[in-house]
Formats: sequence, structure tokens, C-alpha cells
Amino acid sequence: MNKFKDFCVFSAGLWALLLVSGCNLNTRMSTFTAKGPVAETQLDLFMLTLWVTAFIFLAVGGVYVYVVIRFRDKKDSTDAIPSQGHGNPLVELSLIGVSIFLLVIIAIPTLKGIWYTHDTPSDEASLLGSWYTNGPLSEESANEPFIIRAIGYRWWWEFEYPQLGISTANEMVMPAGRPIHIELRSVDVIHSFWLPKIAGKVDLIPGRSNSMWIQAGDSYEAWLAKNDFQGSEVDAQSAYNNYLENDIYDYYYGQCAEYCGDSHARMLFRAHVVKDEEFYAWVNKQKAGHKAPDNMEWDEWYDAYDNAPETLTGDVNEGLKLFMGRAKCATCHVVGGNPRAVGVAGPNLTNLADRHSIAAGWLNHRNEDNSIDSKQQFNNFVQWIKETDVVKPGNLMWKAKGAGIGELDPLLNDEEINQISHYLQSLK
Amino acid sequence: MSTTITDLPNQTQANDLNNLKPEKSDLGLIRPDHSKNVFVDWLTTVDHKKIGIMYGAMALFFLLVGGLEALIIRTQLAVPENDFISAQRYNQLFTMHGTTMIFLAIMPLNAAFFNFLVPLQIGARDVAFPRINAFSLWSFVAGALVINFGWALQALEAFGLFTAKGPTAGMNDFVPAMGWFGYAPITDKEFTGAGTDFWIMGLQILGVASLSASFNFIVTIINMRAPGLKMMRLPVFTWMTLIVSLLIIFAFPAITIALAQLMFDRVFGTNFFSVAGGGQPILWQHLFWIFGHPEVYILVLPAMGIVSEVLPTFSKKPLFGYSIVVFSGAVIGFLGFAVWSHHMFTTGLGKIATAAFSLLTMAIAVPTGVKIFNWVGTLWGGRIRFQAPMIFALGFVWMFMMGGFSGIMHSSAPADAQQQDSYFVIAHFHYVAIGGILLAIISGIYYWLPKMIGKMWQGSLNIWVAILTVVGLNITFFPMHFLGLLGMPRRTHTYLAGFGWETYNMVCTIGSYILGLGVLLLVVDIVRCFRSKEAAGNDPWDARTLEWATTSPPQVYNFAQTPVVNARDALWADKYGPEERKLGSVDESHGIHMPSQSWMPLVASCGFIPLGLGLSLMQAGVPFSGYAAILGLVIITVGVALWALEGPGGYHLHPQKKA
Repeated sequence: MNKFKDFCVFSAGLWALLLVSGCNLNTRMSTFTAKGPVAETQLDLFMLTLWVTAFIFLAVGGVYVYVVIRFRDKKDSTDAIPSQGHGNPLVELSLIGVSIFLLVIIAIPTLKGIWYTHDTPSDEASLLGSWYTNGPLSEESANEPFIIRAIGYRWWWEFEYPQLGISTANEMVMPAGRPIHIELRSVDVIHSFWLPKIAGKVDLIPGRSNSMWIQAGDSYEAWLAKNDFQGSEVDAQSAYNNYLENDIYDYYYGQCAEYCGDSHARMLFRAHVVKDEEFYAWVNKQKAGHKAPDNMEWDEWYDAYDNAPETLTGDVNEGLKLFMGRAKCATCHVVGGNPRAVGVAGPNLTNLADRHSIAAGWLNHRNEDNSIDSKQQFNNFVQWIKETDVVKPGNLMWKAKGAGIGELDPLLNDEEINQISHYLQSLK
Repeated sequence: MSTTITDLPNQTQANDLNNLKPEKSDLGLIRPDHSKNVFVDWLTTVDHKKIGIMYGAMALFFLLVGGLEALIIRTQLAVPENDFISAQRYNQLFTMHGTTMIFLAIMPLNAAFFNFLVPLQIGARDVAFPRINAFSLWSFVAGALVINFGWALQALEAFGLFTAKGPTAGMNDFVPAMGWFGYAPITDKEFTGAGTDFWIMGLQILGVASLSASFNFIVTIINMRAPGLKMMRLPVFTWMTLIVSLLIIFAFPAITIALAQLMFDRVFGTNFFSVAGGGQPILWQHLFWIFGHPEVYILVLPAMGIVSEVLPTFSKKPLFGYSIVVFSGAVIGFLGFAVWSHHMFTTGLGKIATAAFSLLTMAIAVPTGVKIFNWVGTLWGGRIRFQAPMIFALGFVWMFMMGGFSGIMHSSAPADAQQQDSYFVIAHFHYVAIGGILLAIISGIYYWLPKMIGKMWQGSLNIWVAILTVVGLNITFFPMHFLGLLGMPRRTHTYLAGFGWETYNMVCTIGSYILGLGVLLLVVDIVRCFRSKEAAGNDPWDARTLEWATTSPPQVYNFAQTPVVNARDALWADKYGPEERKLGSVDESHGIHMPSQSWMPLVASCGFIPLGLGLSLMQAGVPFSGYAAILGLVIITVGVALWALEGPGGYHLHPQKKA
């Protein structure tokens, strides 16, 4: 008996310890710090289920503990056999009734939540044409919500912006306060798009057209309604901007959430949530692509590359020559502007050096203030090219039926890897 | 207490049980009855008690194997960016951990209890089809061998002695690595090697074992109950066995079809799941979970049955609301077929389907809650004795409730979108699987092992088993709720620092070692029980059901005379009830009819080994393995034919009264 008491006290202590230790809930992928209407709906529902079950836990658990202590076999009691009562229909029925009532409390908001989180808002203010002011849109695009197409590959992400004619990989950029329709596609196995602070996950299933919607932060109208703001339009605008500035503009962390093979653990992604102006600037930069090194035109550069490659000197030029030549990078990668780098099997490398991570979020070079640690960035490029198969086991870039850089004979040497890394670091 | 059913009847022609001679079968072969050779006796046995003990021993072995796999997984995850094991090895380990625990540990542990207890609880001599029972056991062994065979090849591969050729050339994963639910299309030969084939064939064979056992138990429970043992007088554990057996025969065909289709895709190039050929990967998920969700109840209902036996015994009260507990078990089984898509809330089911499965999932909480209420009701007003089985049963109620709560959280589909495939789910189903099922099974072991081997537990090691398992499981799995809600996806072989996951993971790993130590102590305690000198006696716990009315261990014929049951808790009524409720007995002075032993179930099951290994090795390009598969089919066919032709046999025992 004493041992049993000790055991109860011991476990209770550990539980308390665990509960206290679980304090910091504001971490990079925490679902507790919801930053958009979808994640908020999901968090609210979770909290509702938590309170309802906590109530049941206290009620049933309390009775349970009471019963176990109250009706324990006492040493001094007689050996009398307790009453052999075996049921009470009234008690049973009322408990069933209470259970159903508690479930209904969860069920109604759940149904509302299912409907709300399922359909991308399509009211006037949510359409792309109503807010996008960075150049002309086709009529069809203007009358749709903003679309980003997330395509899963083993083990990286492609983000296409079909209405804007651009594409990037592993780090998406998106405006705040606008609903975004995400089309989910996979080219190989099942992946799952999970950006915990902004929305729960939906799977990318090959051969199936899934979609979801996400939104970082409230729209101006929703924010006004939620905060019941009194005051002038100008004050309201500036208060809303403060809210976006303080709470929403950020670098968000996401990850593949469906097991997809060897390097599933290393299939991460990021979302930059930015001001409209910053978003437009990024779109334009992405559309413009890159010029050849030393500010040359591409025709000029390729003329030299084809006829007198020795005239192209310096690390960046050497890197690009390897990129187009011996290392065969261009077979699989697009670099915006470069007319011969049009391979589509690998990630789009346009403005690669502007990204805060490479290798689908596994190798990072972001400083706290959102700037890029260029030394770390260079090292990351080197590490990635040198040991692609260690950073991401099973990766196609290393071995792909003869086309991988791990199948080059001889392998790239340190100098070549440095040159390619210098070239990659010039992509900004 | 009435002793008529353990007392031997006045035999008209007593025979010496030690000197019985085997007869010839219809084929003219000597039947392996009454063998003095221990190996022959156990390999050919059709005695449900021996079969149950073998199931239990093998399942305990696989429980330790699966546990070891889990400890390696936890060691790898203890610190971020760990490289204790490779990504491939990690993926194989979590796949095999899940597969092993579900199919090779918990299901056969449940089967061990079914086998040993059901005939005793219903006052029967044996199951309805004793040879099929042996066939189930040996098929299970064959399936377990096929699933785990990849480890041997993987070891050869690691030493450079074997590489895959043929259809899966270049893919050197010989241990399954696609998760225990093997979502298409990662199971396609484009993505995984021969490991997947071992998994397909192994599961298919285990399905044969489960299905044949289930038919056997259904027929046994319906047809072989002792006189007076009406359905509504059945012990709850037997009821749960019946419901689980029905679930198995309805649920397993779905996975059988899915596995056959997958095998066809891989071996013969069909296009059920491969997108390139127009197949639909989502079809696999539907088929798998139509099996997979009832499977959850196949695992947990026997645990509920065990607890529904232990709680009344140790509170000296009948089960509160017997009929409602039985009925809610049936409702759980029925509804279990209607909630499969809650495993698929993130696959884009559409609003209506999501809403329907959300509500149905909530509905299933009601009969589950009813069981909890009734267990509390059973304790109410009782005299609770904290003996080993009871401590684990009380722990079960508490921990199972925790698992139930996170289940309710999943039922809200939008909330589940954040929880699905995260560590929150891992926490949920381990509270159910360890806090629920494993604690109940340990409770069952402490309760019934004295009956099985006739020896009583020694010392108080059980307290330490209880402390270490309960504390260990809470330290391991409670933090996982937080891990999941803080965004850690499951099935990741490593993770970056800086996401707030480090401390939790370290705590989980420490907890898993504590839990592992608890299970190890359980094994030590079981060994000590086997070496115990203290006889258990017929009824060491002052129990209520029929199995405690006979000797410990029971004689080969279970009951000297078939009991006549006049009450629900038959033995309790016999001990403390009014005269008209006491046990009676059927006059069996003509002798006890016993089934003959046979080699044929073993022979037929052995055919599964070359069949399963052959088809899988063929995928890895091993020469002549296709012929081995054909040989396997031949062995099965011949085994079954000889089994049919040898005739049922059987003999009469006329045990003598001991002087």
C-alpha cells in the first residue's frame, strides 16, 4: 500500500515537472502562435477540444481517484462481500446523454471550421485583380484568387506563381493579409504542405489535384471588424500597418509532413511574408533574371564561351563555365535570364543567393535580423556540392543514372567547387 | 464450493494416461499422439493451451524486438542532427517497429489469451477446429519470419556480400522502409526495393493466420459453450474475443485485396496504384484504413476485455452494466468500420466527407466513454485489492482515458490538420497502445499466468514493473504532445536545432529507456514465476469466471466433467451464490473425447516460407527463387490435402482417479 502511495506521489511530481517545462510555446513551427485566419480557426478548435476534455478529465478522473481511494480494501474491514449491484440504467443513460452533449459542443464549431478552412475566399476583395497593382494581369487571373502552385519533389519544393509567370524553389515569398489559393501537386510520392503558423497541412498526392488556402495575418477589413477600431481611416490604416509590421511580416518555417523516403526529414521550406511593395519588387527581380557575369549580355558571353572560353576569367566566370559544362548543372536547373540553363528536374536557381537557406531549408545562413551571413552561405554551397549525398541521402543531384555530380569522373575538386559556389553566390 | 467439475467421474474403463498408444490415421501413418518427445509433442500439438503459450512466448519475443527497435529510434532522436544511424536504417526501424508491434507482438499476445482462455471460459474441451488452430500458429510464425528475413539480407548487403539485381536492381533496401501503412506510391518498385515485397508477403501470410484463427473462435464461442452458458452469461473477455474475431473476418479482406493489388503492381506490372499507368494512390489509403481502423479496435477490444475481467475480481463486485459494456463493445466494432477516413483528413476528401467522418469519429467516443464509466461503476462500492493485475488494470483505465482525450481532439478535422502526421499523433496512439493495450496485457499476464503454469508470483517486482512502465510511458509520450503541436513531423530521422524540440526529445528518450527497463523487469518477473515453488491452486485471486474452476495448470482435457452454468459469473455464484446458481456437471463416465495431434498444419504452414521468400527474392533478382515460390504453393497444397485425407482421428481419455 505504501509503495502504491509513493508511486502516485512520484508520478504526480513528474507530471507537474513536465507541465511546467512545457512553457515556451512560441517557437518557429508552433501551432500555438497562429498567424492567419486558417491557423487561428484550427487553434481555436484545438483549444475548445482541450477545454472540453480537460473538463471530462477533471470530472471522471476526480471520481476515479475518489473511488479508488474510498473503496480500497481496508485492513480492518470485515471480510464481508460487498453488495453485488451490477448496473443502473438511469445512471448509464444520463452519462451517455452528457457525453453526447459535450460532443455536440465540439461538433458545431468543427463543422463551421471545416467549411471555413476548406474553400478559398472568393469575395471581391480576395481576388487578385482587386489588390495586385504591379503590372497588367490577364482577365482570367484578375478574377481568381492569388494562386501559388506548390509542387513536391523528393526532397524539395517548387513554388510556381502561374498568374505572374515566375517560379522559385524552397523559399516562397507571399504578401500579408491576402488569401492565397495553394494548388498542391506532386511529381513522385505523397508529400504534405505544412506551414504550422499559417495553416495545417494538406497532402500533395500524385495524380490528384488537391488545394488549400492560406493567409498570413488578417485582411484590413477583417482586422477592422475584429478590433472594433474607432477613429479616422488614416489612423486605422496606420494601426493595421503596425499590426502587420509587428506581428505578421516574418520568415516562416514549414516542412513536408508525409513520409516520402530517405530524406523526408530534410524536406523543409520557408515562407517570407512581406509588404506588398516588397513582394512586387521580388516578383520583378525574379522576372528579370540575371545578366551574364561582368554585366555581359548572354549572347556575348556564350560567344566567348563557345569560341574562346579562356578569355572568361575570374571565379564567377570559371564557376559559370563549370555550371554550364563539366558539372552539368544546367541540365537540371533554370537560372532566370540564362538562355541555356533551362533544365527542370531540379530547383529553379534564379536569385538563389537571396534565399536564406539552401538544400530545402536544411543548410541555413540567415542572421537574426533577416540578413544573410554570406560566409556561412558560401560554406553551405561548398558543403552541399561536395557532399550532396550526405546532406540529403538518396538525392537525385548526387546519383541520377549517370547525370548526378556524384557520378562525374573525376569528382569535382575543391577548387572547382569553390568556383561554382562563387558563381552561385553571385545569383542575387 | 462445488467440486464436481474438477473431480474425475467414475470411469467405466479407466486407462493409464502415461501409456496410451497412438493410432494410425486414414492415410496409414502413425498419428503423433502421446509422444514422449517434447519437440514432436509441441510441434504437432492441437491443444489450445499449448498453442496459446507458444503464441505468447513468440509475441513476447517480438515485443522485445520491437521495443529494441524503438530504443534505437529514440537514441537517434535524442539530440538534433544526430548521425547514430543512417536515414535509411532509421526509416526501416520505424517501419519495422510499427509492423512488429502491431502484427507480431500485440495481435499474437491477444491471440495467446484467446487461445488459452476462451475454451476454459466457456467450459469447452478445446476450440472447434484444433488443427486449424495449430495452422494459425505456424502461419503466424512463417509470416513473422518472412517479414523479418530482410534483416539478414541487409546484414549481407552491409558487408558487401549481396546486392539487388533483377526488377529492383540498384535498390538495396531489404528491410521494409515505407511506414507500417505503406502509402502508395512509395511502395512502387520505382521507390522501394525488395523490403516492400517481404512486407507484402509477410502481412499476407499473417492475414491467413488471423483469419483462420478468427473463424475458429467464432465457431467455438457460438457452438461450444457449456450447457447453460447463454450468450449474455459469457465472460466479457470471451465476448470481446467474439467481436474481435468478427472484426478480423470483415476487416482483413480489405487489406488482403490491397496487398494482392500491390503485389501485382510490383511483380506483374499492373497499374492499381502507380500514377504513370493511370492508377490511384489514394485507393490504397481507403483500402488500408478500411482494414486499419477496425484493426485499432482489434488491438484494443481484447485489452478492454481483460480489464473487464480483472476489475470485478479485485473489487469483489460484478461488472457494472454488463450488457451495456458488451453492447458498447459491439457498437465500437461496428462504428469502427465507419471512421476510416479520419486517418485521411489531410488528403483532400472534400467538405462533406470530412464532416461526416468527423462526426462519426466523435460518435465512437460515446461507447468508449461508456466503458470507462462502467469500469468506474464497477469499482464503486467494491473492496479494491491492489494486487499486481489490479494495479495494471487501474493504470490502464487512467492512461487509456488520456489516449481517448487526444483522440477526441483528432476528431475535429480542422484541428487535426495541425496534428496529423506530427508527434501529437505519436503521443495519442502510444497512450492507447502502451497506456491502454500493453498495460492491460501485462495485467492479463499477472492475472492468468498462475492459471497457465500453475505457479504463483513471487516477491514484489511487479510494483517496480508498474512504476517503471507507467512513469516511463508518461515521460516518453506526454512531451510528444508538445513536440507535435510545436511542429515536429513524425517519421523524420533527424531535426535541426533551434525549433524548440531539443529538450522534449531528450526527455522522451530518457523516458523510453525507463519504459524499456520496465518491460525488461516484466520478463524477469515472468521467469521468476516459472521458477516459483509456490503452487497457484485453482483460484488464487478469488475470481468469478469459469477458467478458475479447474486446476492450474488445467489438464489436457480442461474439465474432468463438462460444467453446467447457472449464472453469469459462474464461479462466483458457485462459491457465494444461492444453491440454484451453483455449477452443475454433465455426466461423462463414457470418457473424454480428445482431438488427435497432426503434422499437417505445420507442413502446410511451412509452405508459406518458400512462397513468401521466393516471390520477394525474385524481386531482388535471386536466381531460381521463383521456383521456390512454386514449391511453396505445392507444399501448402499437399499439406492441406493430406490434412483432409488423414481424417480427424481423436481418442477417448478415461483418466483414473488419483488414489
